[in-house]
Amino acid sequence: MTPELILGCIILIIGVIAAGFPRPRTYLSRLICLEIPGLGLLLIMLAYDEMLALVTFIGVTAISTFVLVRVIERRGPE
Amino acid sequence: MAIPPYTLGLLVAVAGLIIGFMAIVRERDDLHRILLTDLAEVLALVLIALVATDLAEALILPGLVVGISELMAVSEVYIAKEGLRKPPAKPAFRIEIMDSAPGILALILVAYGIVLSGFTGGVVAAVGAVFYFMCRDHAERFELIETVSGYAWAIWIGAFFIFMFLPGYWLFGVMMAGGAILLKVMAKMSLVGTMRGGSNV
Repeated sequence: MTPELILGCIILIIGVIAAGFPRPRTYLSRLICLEIPGLGLLLIMLAYDEMLALVTFIGVTAISTFVLVRVIERRGPE
Repeated sequence: MAIPPYTLGLLVAVAGLIIGFMAIVRERDDLHRILLTDLAEVLALVLIALVATDLAEALILPGLVVGISELMAVSEVYIAKEGLRKPPAKPAFRIEIMDSAPGILALILVAYGIVLSGFTGGVVAAVGAVFYFMCRDHAERFELIETVSGYAWAIWIGAFFIFMFLPGYWLFGVMMAGGAILLKVMAKMSLVGTMRGGSNV
């Protein structure tokens, strides 16, 4: 039971609650909150030495943020 | 009595899944639901990552590919459904760093991606290319990207023939496959950078 795993699990739960029920219920705040459970997943991957999966997840997250920002940009804030 | 890490992780993941799906059920807006799909994907990846072997790593990579392509398809469907075809006329503000940073950042990311090679390297290099295309004007030729992608696929298949018929040259085959998949993933993913429209699209 490494500290990374415990911290990752805690951040994951906090992040799921934050992304599930964001306080100002706007698209942007929910998009920002989505990064928190991602960080929890990264810590869990770090605990198990899954380096390739970790780097790929960072890259794919960056690309999916581009895709989501594009949709939000066309939809307009709110 | 100590709880084994796998049990603890499973409990956390199941609790997260329950909260996440509760949020999806209570949500009425479609775009909010698309954003929550991303959350569900992260939770599914946690379940796989807890297996903690090389198999988990090998399963996470296709999971990420399916996730990103599903997200792109769903967002396209949403844009078509809501009739949001009109691209924004102009960026609302000018950021000076978007003129100077893309070249340097793209160079670093592409160089690191080539060192990593394989699918991971392809994604890292593609992030650099996407960032460059989004910040600068892009006037690339799409036929060239398609051609590179096709050759990369052929090299990838060739690497598999080396594994089958000349197993002694496995290192050469690994290098060919790693380089080819790097080119292919990077060529495909960098097209995301042109999705906002431009002179040539």
